[in-house]
Order: sequence, then C-alpha cells, then structure tokens
Amino acid sequence: MNKKILQLIPLCLMLALLAGGCAETKQAEVGGTPAAKEAVQQEPTVYEGEITGVSERAKSISIAVGKGDQAKSMLVKFDDKTKGVNQAKKGIAAKIIYEMRGTEAYATDIQLKLAKLPAGVTEIKTTELQKLTSEKAPLFLVDSRPLARYNQSHLPGAHAIPVPLLEEKQAAVLPKNKDLPLVFYCGGPT
Amino acid sequence: MSTASAGLAKKIGYTNIRVYLDGEPAWSKANLPTYSTNEFIKNGNVVLIDIRPSKKAIAGRIKGAYSVPYDTLENTLDDVPRNAPLVLYGDKEVMDAVVAVRDQEFNFVSLVEGGYQGWVKSGGEIEKGPIFNTEIKWVRKLGKGEVSVADFRKAVAGEEKNTVVVDARTKEEVAELGIFKNTINIPLDEIPSRMNELPKDKKIYVHCSTGARADMAYSELVKHGFDVKFLLLNIKDAECDCEIIKP
Repeated sequence: MNKKILQLIPLCLMLALLAGGCAETKQAEVGGTPAAKEAVQQEPTVYEGEITGVSERAKSISIAVGKGDQAKSMLVKFDDKTKGVNQAKKGIAAKIIYEMRGTEAYATDIQLKLAKLPAGVTEIKTTELQKLTSEKAPLFLVDSRPLARYNQSHLPGAHAIPVPLLEEKQAAVLPKNKDLPLVFYCGGPT
Repeated sequence: MSTASAGLAKKIGYTNIRVYLDGEPAWSKANLPTYSTNEFIKNGNVVLIDIRPSKKAIAGRIKGAYSVPYDTLENTLDDVPRNAPLVLYGDKEVMDAVVAVRDQEFNFVSLVEGGYQGWVKSGGEIEKGPIFNTEIKWVRKLGKGEVSVADFRKAVAGEEKNTVVVDARTKEEVAELGIFKNTINIPLDEIPSRMNELPKDKKIYVHCSTGARADMAYSELVKHGFDVKFLLLNIKDAECDCEIIKP
C-alpha cells in the first residue's frame, strides 16, 4: 500500500461520518478533493453501502456501492482476522475496509455506519412526534425512503420525497416557509 | 436517507429541522397507524382485508377486499405467507386488528387512510353484494433477477439447451448432498476468478441451498455482463422437485 493511500484513509473516515445515513447506499464521498478522488479510483480500499448478502460458508460479503440504479454489488471475502464480521448483516449500512490479495478483495475491517445528524439538526423520538401529529401541530413530515416503501406503509400525513427527488428539486418540493418545522424519517438507523 | 435529506434542507436554508432517526419501523412497533397509498392498494400485490362485520362488507367494500370480520381474523390468516403485505380497514377496532396481526408476525401491515369512508371519498372503486372469495390467496411476485421454479426445473432437466446452471454451494456440500443434473459447481467465493468458464451468449441460472449465495453470485455476474438469474428457494423445498445426482 503506498503512502498516498495511507494518507487518504483518515479523510475517507471523516467524510464517511459526514455522509452517514440510515441504510443508505452511498459511495465513499471523496468528491471534495480532486486529488483524493484520483487516488481512490486507482486503488480503492473502502467500500461503503448497504450489505446485500453474507455467506458464512463462502466467507464472502456482497455490498451495494453507489446510488440507485448505478449501485454496483461488490464481492469481498473475509477470514478469521477480519474485524467486525459478526456485525455484517443483510440490509445494514456498512463500511468495509479491504485489501487486495492477488486479484481478490479481502475485508480487514467491517464497521457499521451509524446515522449522524448534520450540525444544527436535532433528533425527535416517537412519543413527541406522535404528540405533534395527533395535535395537528404545524409540521411538514417527510418520508425519505424510496417510493415503493412509502406506498406500502407511511406515517400519517407524511410527504413522499425520496432523497434523489429532493436532490433534484430542492426547495420546490419543500414548504415555502423556511421556518416551518420539518421532520425527516426513513427506515431506521442501521 | 433521512439524515442526508435533513442536511440538504439545512443547506437550502430551512431553519427548523429534525430527524426521526428511529423511523417507520419504530412507529409501527409502537402500534401507531401507518397507511398505504390508494394506488398501492389498488395495484400492488397486497392482501386487502375488511375487518368489519360481514353485513357491512356485503353492503359495500373496497374492490378486491377479503371480508374477514375481526373475531375470525386469527384463524383465517394462518396459511397466508408472513411476508405478504396486509392492508386492513375497519371501524374502531382496526388498530386492535393491526396489533393482532403484527403479533402473528406479519411483517408488513398498514391501513387504508380514513377506512372505507375515506376510500369512497377519494373516489376509489367499491363492490357490493355476496362475497365469494373467502380463501385468501397470495403469491409472492418474482423479484429482480429471480428465475421461476418452473424455468429452473426445465433447465436442470436439460430442456433448455441455451442455459447453463451454476451451483454456488461449496464443494463439501455438493460432495455430501449431491448435485442437480446439467449443473456445474462453482462455489460463490470462486465466482470472481472462474467466471471466464461461463458463456456470455447463454442464459445462466444460479442456485445454492436457500438463495442467499445465489443472489450474491447473481449480482457479481450481472455486473460483468452475464445474462443471469438466480433461484430464491430452499432446494429442499418439495416445490423444487428436481432430479439429484447422488454422490
């Protein structure tokens, strides 16, 4: 592993924390620094995304890296030295640090990606949200999951705004009044 | 997803943003109501249940609904697969019914917004009169990349000449349990290094013991441009009924 890559790891870790979300399939965000992006493309050592399969027998994990239709499933092997294998479960958002051994990718460390709140944003719990919605308090509730999930089951009064739609339309799909309380939810912190 | 959206809203200039991190699963678990959209109820692969007394259902019900009065709910749902999305509607007792079916380990349970009246008000289709469909039928639709059991059976019987079947189990499993006819064994972990053994101009069906590894092998092969499907089935299931070459 060359020096450049080693320098890059803390940056990836930091950006990964910033980019954290619930069950989010998101590639390691390295777009901020062009030099970093280049290095990662040469020899990526971190996969970030949703774990789509774990096989104990084949000692392999597949992880969906990238967004939506462009998401690619990557197959990574693990061994007895891999850290955090017991945390790897289908459906969770994770970060897999790996190394190449010959042509095969081996995971060295598997970490859960916990949801991190952006600065200035606070959490709301079930009891309070239930109170506010039943009181019909002024509130704009947003379901950030893919539309299929919203269609099957959503909270009372929730608006369906999947993340890609918000990215595209921005304020056009949110209330005009920027001081109105907004509450976002998805499929839970994983 | 919710945190990413919250960050974006912050950037656009919204001042009062919160995130319900526990999300929809926690809301359901607290036995609070969740709703399906009318579109999903009408066109989705759902089991729609009218839990009101049958008298009311006969007088008028949502088109396609099964009439299962609340007091008969428990026994009627015994044979319904637990991954079937249930959509219930009724009167006051409907939340009790939701709790009851969630207790029966149905994973996807939701309500019609506003119940029967809400449906009528929103212009949804209804039907009236005697009810003939009493036995609940629900069949899971094939997911992305899945091969039907029927097609898979044909392939291993050698009736689909343009198809290659791959068994993604380990060599040890094959040695112990045998292998289907017309099948080659490439364990999941060897797929990346051995995919050059597979043809790109033929269909490939992958199976394993339950479908989990086959799904992973499918993703890997599809990424490399193969025309591939996988079998999501426990191969011990009687439904498979494929001939095995015993070791």
